[in-house]
Amino acid sequence: MKRRTLMTGIAGAAAGWTLPALAQANEFGSKELIDAAEKEGSLTYYTANFAEVEQEVIKAFNKRFPKIKVAMVRAPGGQLITRIKTEAAAGKLAADVVDHSDRGLMLELQDLFQDYTPPNAADYRPDALVSPKFWPGVTLGWCIAYNTQLVKNPPKTWMDLTKAEYKGGKQIGQVVGPSGGTTWTRIMFERQVLGDDYWKKQAATEPVLYPSGAPTSDSLVRGEISIAPLLYNIIYTKIVEGAPAETVFAPEGVPIIPYADGIPKTAKSPNAAKLFMNWRLSKEGQTFAIKSLGNITSLKEPPAFPKGWDPKVIKAWVPKFAEFEKLRGPWVEEWNKTYGYRQ
Amino acid sequence: MPESKESLRAPRRLIGPLWVGGLLVLLAFLVLYPLSMLVFGALSDSNPVVDGFAKFSPSLDHFVEVLVNENVHLAFFNALVACGGGTAFAVFIGLFFSWIVVRTDTPFRGFIAGASMIPLFVPPLVAGVAWGILGSPKTGLLNIALKWLDIDFRFNFYSMPGLIVVFGIYYAPYVYMFTASALRNMDPSLEEASEVSGASAFATLFTVTFPLIAPAILAGTLLSFVVMLGIYGVPAALGAPANINVLTTYIFKLTAWSPPLYNTAAAVAILLMIVTAILVWAQQKVLSGKSFATVAGKAFRPRQLSLGPWRWFTFGLALIYLFIVVILPTLALVIAAFRRFLFFKDFDAVFDAKAYGLWHFNAVFDNPLTMLSIWNTLKVGVITAVLGGILAFAIGYTVNRTTLKGRRWIDLLATIPVAIPGLVIGVAYLWAWIGLPGGLYGTIWILALAFVARFMPDTVKALSTSFMQIHKELEEAAWISGRGVLSTIFTIVLPLARPGVIASMTLLFVLAVRELGSSLFLYTSDTTVMAVLLLDYYEGGNTGKTAAFSLVQTLILGTLLCITTLLSRGAAQGAARTG
Repeated sequence: MKRRTLMTGIAGAAAGWTLPALAQANEFGSKELIDAAEKEGSLTYYTANFAEVEQEVIKAFNKRFPKIKVAMVRAPGGQLITRIKTEAAAGKLAADVVDHSDRGLMLELQDLFQDYTPPNAADYRPDALVSPKFWPGVTLGWCIAYNTQLVKNPPKTWMDLTKAEYKGGKQIGQVVGPSGGTTWTRIMFERQVLGDDYWKKQAATEPVLYPSGAPTSDSLVRGEISIAPLLYNIIYTKIVEGAPAETVFAPEGVPIIPYADGIPKTAKSPNAAKLFMNWRLSKEGQTFAIKSLGNITSLKEPPAFPKGWDPKVIKAWVPKFAEFEKLRGPWVEEWNKTYGYRQ
Repeated sequence: MPESKESLRAPRRLIGPLWVGGLLVLLAFLVLYPLSMLVFGALSDSNPVVDGFAKFSPSLDHFVEVLVNENVHLAFFNALVACGGGTAFAVFIGLFFSWIVVRTDTPFRGFIAGASMIPLFVPPLVAGVAWGILGSPKTGLLNIALKWLDIDFRFNFYSMPGLIVVFGIYYAPYVYMFTASALRNMDPSLEEASEVSGASAFATLFTVTFPLIAPAILAGTLLSFVVMLGIYGVPAALGAPANINVLTTYIFKLTAWSPPLYNTAAAVAILLMIVTAILVWAQQKVLSGKSFATVAGKAFRPRQLSLGPWRWFTFGLALIYLFIVVILPTLALVIAAFRRFLFFKDFDAVFDAKAYGLWHFNAVFDNPLTMLSIWNTLKVGVITAVLGGILAFAIGYTVNRTTLKGRRWIDLLATIPVAIPGLVIGVAYLWAWIGLPGGLYGTIWILALAFVARFMPDTVKALSTSFMQIHKELEEAAWISGRGVLSTIFTIVLPLARPGVIASMTLLFVLAVRELGSSLFLYTSDTTVMAVLLLDYYEGGNTGKTAAFSLVQTLILGTLLCITTLLSRGAAQGAARTG
């Protein structure tokens, strides 16, 4: 975007812009890459994340690179995977970048993706990576949320969610275990870190069960329930807008979900795709996601922390990928039995 | 160039079979081909586009898995209770209102007619959300009001009765559309004869009027039942909090599974289709061999029953109904759309002016996808209504008004899609049509094609009742006067069936605007539609934005309703004159 300024070598105020722009250009990729990306001028972005959230990502990207138009296709996780598979088989995959929450499903499709390494690859936690082709452009994390108008003594730890004072009266809400990879990460954490009997103790508080995070967060704000484990980004934007809710990051650990994002081999705008990925994975992109969207990050040294996250106390927990895949079926079945949830 | 009569007759003889053949080929492409993909999916573990047909090793495993699953049994039972109860309620309401509007002198009938259709334009998901806001046992607005009034009674719409009531309310317009159009086209001399013979108005209603419009009532009943079976939004919003699963919520779980179990979902869908097939067969069995022609070659004016002072009673009932069905949920949506958050400490908090503003509308229109989706939706809606309307007329006419060989097959093929839940048929369309040459995939046209196919049964059935009521003697009169088939259709059948045609095209437009299941698989970044964006707001837990966007959608559909009501009123008058 500052190419013309550079080339014409205009002095004065413009020069003040040029130098940091050059430094930033290196952060996001070589000048050649940026030139090639701007020449392509557009890319198509497939995401399983919420379209509204990703619109903000695109807006922020376009502040830095206004010459690249990003078109988005959004579908829920399962549908998106089916669509990618089918389009690819028919030779009609339109995606230049794919952003997906389920690393396991993406791994099955890795042959469709090209090799890609962001400039700051070494800054990422190795346990957040499942393939050299996929990178966590998005990382989400679980918190405990509560309605400030209804809860006088909020829980501070995951173990607090088993206390008798929160039993009955539809106080606690839970997203059901089989709802998807994000919830499976949390219940796996509960069992592995908080103890084999944690589910039993927690289920004894008679929580209200919800099919996904969205209705849970909505019910919490409305006061249908008072407390719920929630993905931080779902409740964060509501809190920013003034919802009567607050969150706690529990000291036992924060289960996080690194996404698997990649560039298909068939990308029609491979340079624009690389630049978009580079920017999202950069310090600037990750800081934006943490501060504006309520994401967490898979960077070893996070550039920012969400409110209430004391890095000395709170540690992120990433599931071991092999166990994540292997234990899923039997453990989710046990969870269903413990919580009396009909599959 | 002079030609002998014989040589003219030969090609004419071929027109019938060619016409039927053409329709069958078209239906095979629209229905059978995607359906075969579904059957393929249900009988295997593969994706036909990815794995090809070479790896196809058929097995009944998915069917067995579904049939022995206790949770499926429970979901099936719940679906039957919810949809059965909902249908009974919908028939009661729909029939009552069509009678009030068409056959009585109740004041402000036009207004009642228009307003009672509003529930049809509300996407099921939004309806569920609205009634959750009103009738949640803990924070529902109705219950907060009751508490404020010191009344102990509490509503609970998170329950089976709640599901039945909401289903009944939202699918009553289906029954209304069918029965009102039938009543409008009915020759009142039959009722007059009954009354002259000494029957009371009430007895006439149940012994003459309703039996005569039985095809419309049955068609409306069947369609609303089957459509309810395929609805996801209402049970998702109202059933889930009470852990009440129905077949669609079960199917949704299968498609949301990781990896998604489309093959099992396809098996459930095929079982649903079998249930529907039995119902359609039962309907045809009941109606077979009976004549329901009530529009004959005699001039008539739609008769109105003078209710005297009772007309204010029926008007009062209509007002109460409209208040419950239209005002209350709309109010809930308006509150949700304009209020920053839906937390109410007490009833007084509802009236806190500071809590209201345009935040959600600003956010919705700040999203560049909003205007794009509205524009795309309107385009797809119009294309679907026009193409689907023409096709449905062609099918309806061929099935109901001709004796051509193969017309039963056309009827059967056109009815099949009704039973396939949107979430499953969406993937079947993708599997079937992605490989089509000519770059159809990724355009508005593929969405329109899917909607035409998916809603063909609704449109054809809505039109068929109009055809069944037009007496053959009118066409015969035209033929005797030397008119050809096409000329007869355009001068006799089309003008008489116009209210039905307009009603079914309106229905098609509405259904296309609301349709989510098939859109999810076929839209691209340039062809995104409103339903997809609405789901995104809902899935993001943004009740305010969901409500704001659905109000925008309702407004667009409401404007269309006003236009078509005016058109069909003109048509009804025109038809009366023509008859």
